Formats: sequence, C-alpha cells, structure tokens
Amino acid sequence: MTQSAARVVSANVDGAESREPTGSRRKPVAGGWDRAEIVAALILLTPALVLFAVAVLYPLADTIRLSFFDVKGLAAPKYAGLGNYFKLFADPTFRNTIAVTLLFTLTTTALTVGIGWVLAVLCALAPRETLFFRFVFFTAFGISDAVAGYMWITFFRPDQAGTLNAFLNAIGLGQLQHSWLGDPATAIWAIIATATWSGVGLPLLICFASAQSISKSIIEAAHVDGARPLSIMRHIIMPLSLPGVRVALFINLLGSLRAFDVIYVLTQGGPVRSTETLGFFMFKESFAQFKLGYGAAATVVLLIAVLIISVPAIAQRTAGAK
Amino acid sequence: MIGRAPRWIPLVVGLLSIVWAVPIVGILALAFRPPQDVVLGWWQLDPLRFTLDAWVKVWNGTPLADAFWVTMQAAGISTALTMILTPMAAYAFHYLKFPLRRSLLIVIINAFVLPPQAIIIPLFLLWRDVGLLDNLWSVIIPYVGMSFAWSIFLVKNFLEDFPREMIEAARVDGCGPLSTFFYVVLPNLVTPISTVAILQFLWCWNSLLLPVIFLRTNIPLPQLLTRLSGTYESNFDQRAVAAIVTTAVPLLVFLIFQRQFTAGSLNRSGAKE
Repeated sequence: MTQSAARVVSANVDGAESREPTGSRRKPVAGGWDRAEIVAALILLTPALVLFAVAVLYPLADTIRLSFFDVKGLAAPKYAGLGNYFKLFADPTFRNTIAVTLLFTLTTTALTVGIGWVLAVLCALAPRETLFFRFVFFTAFGISDAVAGYMWITFFRPDQAGTLNAFLNAIGLGQLQHSWLGDPATAIWAIIATATWSGVGLPLLICFASAQSISKSIIEAAHVDGARPLSIMRHIIMPLSLPGVRVALFINLLGSLRAFDVIYVLTQGGPVRSTETLGFFMFKESFAQFKLGYGAAATVVLLIAVLIISVPAIAQRTAGAK
Repeated sequence: MIGRAPRWIPLVVGLLSIVWAVPIVGILALAFRPPQDVVLGWWQLDPLRFTLDAWVKVWNGTPLADAFWVTMQAAGISTALTMILTPMAAYAFHYLKFPLRRSLLIVIINAFVLPPQAIIIPLFLLWRDVGLLDNLWSVIIPYVGMSFAWSIFLVKNFLEDFPREMIEAARVDGCGPLSTFFYVVLPNLVTPISTVAILQFLWCWNSLLLPVIFLRTNIPLPQLLTRLSGTYESNFDQRAVAAIVTTAVPLLVFLIFQRQFTAGSLNRSGAKE
C-alpha cells in the first residue's frame, strides 16, 4: 500500500519535478507554435474545457455576481450593491453560523487528525497485531457521510433504544440521559462526533502510509543501537510522519468547511437553526427560503474561508504547474 | 519490524475500534432483527431472532430498486466520462504547446479547493431555464466538470514519470500528436485512470447535496435514505436496510481498492464527500 502513496505524498509535499514541454521538430508557424499541436490540443481539450466552464467557471463567477443582487424566487434580480453583505453581518442567525462553522471545522479537524495520527503511529509499531482494528476504522471511513449520519441518529435517539442513553444508564449515569439532537447545546457536538467517527480513517490511512514509508534501515539501526519501541515512536515515527499530518489537516479543513450531508441528515440545521455551518446556511437561505442573492453572499464568505486555508496549497500547485 | 511491540498497543487500538464498530453492528442488528425484539435497544439479545421482513417491506414499499438504478447510472456515466476525457486533457497539457496552456492548467488544477456549494445557485437557475431540473444530466454534468480539477492533476503527475524517450521515438517514427496519445501514452495510463475512476465513482455514488437540489422524482440512494429518515413513523428497521443498500457498493469498492484510493486522495484532497 505504501509505495505508491508515499510517492504521491512526496510529490505533493515537495512539489513534483517536471520537465519542459517537448520541443517540436516540425516547422513552427508564426509565433513559435506548431499548428498540428494546436489542432491536436483543441481536439483533446475541448470537451473537458466546455464541461469545466459550464460546471465550474461560469457558476463560480455567477455566484459572486449574484451576491450583489437581490434575487427572490422567480422575480428578476435587483442590484443591491453590498446590501446582502450588510444584512448578513447584521443577521444573528448568520453570526451564530460563523461561530458554529469555526467550532465545527476546528474541532472536527483536530479530533479527526489527532486520533488518526496517534492511531497511525501506534499501528506502525504493531502493524500485524492491529490489522483487523485498522479494517474497522477504514470500514467506518468507507461508509458515506449520509449513511453515517443515519447510523448515529440511532445512537443518539432519545428513547430507551438510543445506544448512548442506554449506555449511560447501564454504567449508573442515568441522570445524564438527554435528548442529544434536540438540545442546541449538545446537537452540534453530536454532529462533531459523527463527523469524527466517519473521518478518522483518512488521516489514519495517510499517516500510516507515511509512517510505513520510513526506511526500514533507519528503524533497524535505532533498534540495534538499543532504542526501545516507544522512543523509536517518539523520535523517529512521529516526526517523520508529520508531512502526512500536514496533508491530512488540509484535507480535513477543506472537507469540514464544505460539510453538508452530516448536518442535513442529523439535524437539518436545527433545533432552531443552531447547528448550521456556512455550507449549510447557504443551502437553507437559497433553497428553503429562496433568497438566492443572500445565499450567494454567504457562499462568497465560505469561499473566502476556503481560499484562506488553501493559500499554501494553491501556491504550491501554481509553482509546480509546468 | 522492531522486535516485539508493547502489548498495550493492540489493546488501546482495539478498545478504540470498539467505539467505531458499535454503530456498524447496531445497524446490522436493526436490519435483520424483528422490530418488536429491539424496542429496548438492538443489543438486547433475548429473544435472538432474525428476519428479512424489513428487506421485503423496503423492497415493496419504497422505490429502492429505482434509486439503485438511478445511482448506478449517475455514478457510472460520470465515471466513464471522466475516465475518457481526463487522459486526453492531461496529455494535451503535459506534451503539447498551445496558447494559454499554463494559465488554463493553473485555473483547472487549483479549482479542487472549491466546495460544491460555490456552484449550485447559478447551476440551479441555469438548469431551471434550460429545463434540465429533475434530469439525471443536471448532476452528471457538474460531477464530471468538477472532477477535472483533481483528475487532470493526478494523471499529469503520473505523466511526469513517463519516459520522454518513448514520446521522442514515436515522433521520429512519424507519429503525430494524436496518434502518439492513442498508441503510445494511453495504453500506459491504466494505473492513474483506474485511480481516477475509483475516486470519481465513490464521490458520485455518495453525493447528496447536488441531487437534493436538482432532482425530485428520480432520486439516488442517499437521497432516498434521507427521505425515509425524514418521516416520523418509527421505521428504524427499514431505514437500516436502506442504509445498508446505500453504502454496500461504495464500501466494497473502497475496501477492495484502498491502495489506489490512498494514492489518489492525497492528490485530489477533500477526498470524501
């Protein structure tokens, strides 16, 4: 599993080597272009470019444009300047949404990557003994967010058949029984728990791969020199798996910011809109209230957050694009 | 690899994995045990009886088979289109010289950070105007269009290691750019294309946001599941069956092709949605 993954990790982290495009041997036309190559590129690229333009470029630009308009239902859009943005930041629901987004994104990412990394380091020390357990975490990851959300509804059910309440009762903490999804204070934590459960497999996969790719000779040398397994873990495996952690952190931040499925299935944003993140708020405003301009403005705020955390990745990809 | 690992390691990992296993066992129990036996919880083992009633009820009472077919079509067509169009584009970007090449490439490969939320409002308006709402192509087009942001990057990365001598040899032997692609490069791209196919298939199958907005009558499995869960009757057994059916295919694909998934997801980012 590790070889190919490690290759991509290093390609991703260090920026891939690349070469100049092939020089042409045919007669160049004006401007140094080879007409045959341009025609071939047109034939090969047109379908992908058309689909990309229709599905990504045009909608992206139009989302930004619509955020300056008042669009309600079927009526013609009215120019509103920054009106939507002023309204957003005066809207208590939106301000709560920002707080929920920060809480959800940061907590879920920290828990997911933290647990996944620790598990990966532990598993790297005992790969054979933990094979089956890793399989359990990977299975949880292979289950889609929507289905995971449904599974955790049964876990948080308020009645006697709710797993968590029954468990609390069984260990003598019956007074802690709760309507977990019905209380704004606990509902967001139920969503965070679900997202963490469903996400841990990915950092585990990535960090385990980068731990496995550590050269055996380093570890054997440490072992021969008398290092105990725990100090090998502390001084070799943990630091050398950090590139994997960085990739996992970024992937999880992006994933949490665009979270939709878990919230849609578990709470629909409720109770009383207390568990909406930006990615869900824009859906609610645009497609439940049909305030499309308002929803577009919230989407632009989401985009800004996405761009801020993506700056290093974008810089790296742009520099590596040869 | 380093002598014997301490005993507590598998123990700690094992204990934690129980937390991860409980909801999975729970859903299996709910799907295969009669509802009256699990009123007090799926872990009550007395009496321990098994039944397929819920499966029959879901099969007869909900459009499960239709949803399965819709999901197969949406994920299948999207995956096929991405598999065909990505290598063409990646080859053009990597080996051919044409105006705006690098600018286009930078725009496309950086679009992988975009959340689907960034495109749904204008696409909804567009599909409404051209009458594509509730049509399967309303989700297939964005599935394929968005995939290029990571798939072209992934295949192009693979081409970095492709021996340039082969391209040169083909050129010397009189191959034009197109025949070089079809006869020299494409046959060697099986590995990255299958990685792209697996990631794309999983993403399209599990996708919920786009169908929720664009589709009404012919809905895929995850959307059917949310509709079943949205009712207030206590149909937990039927929901469990729908959940298992929804996730069985992508789960198997993921577990079987884990290696390709790891390699690929590191490239594409935001791997699971």
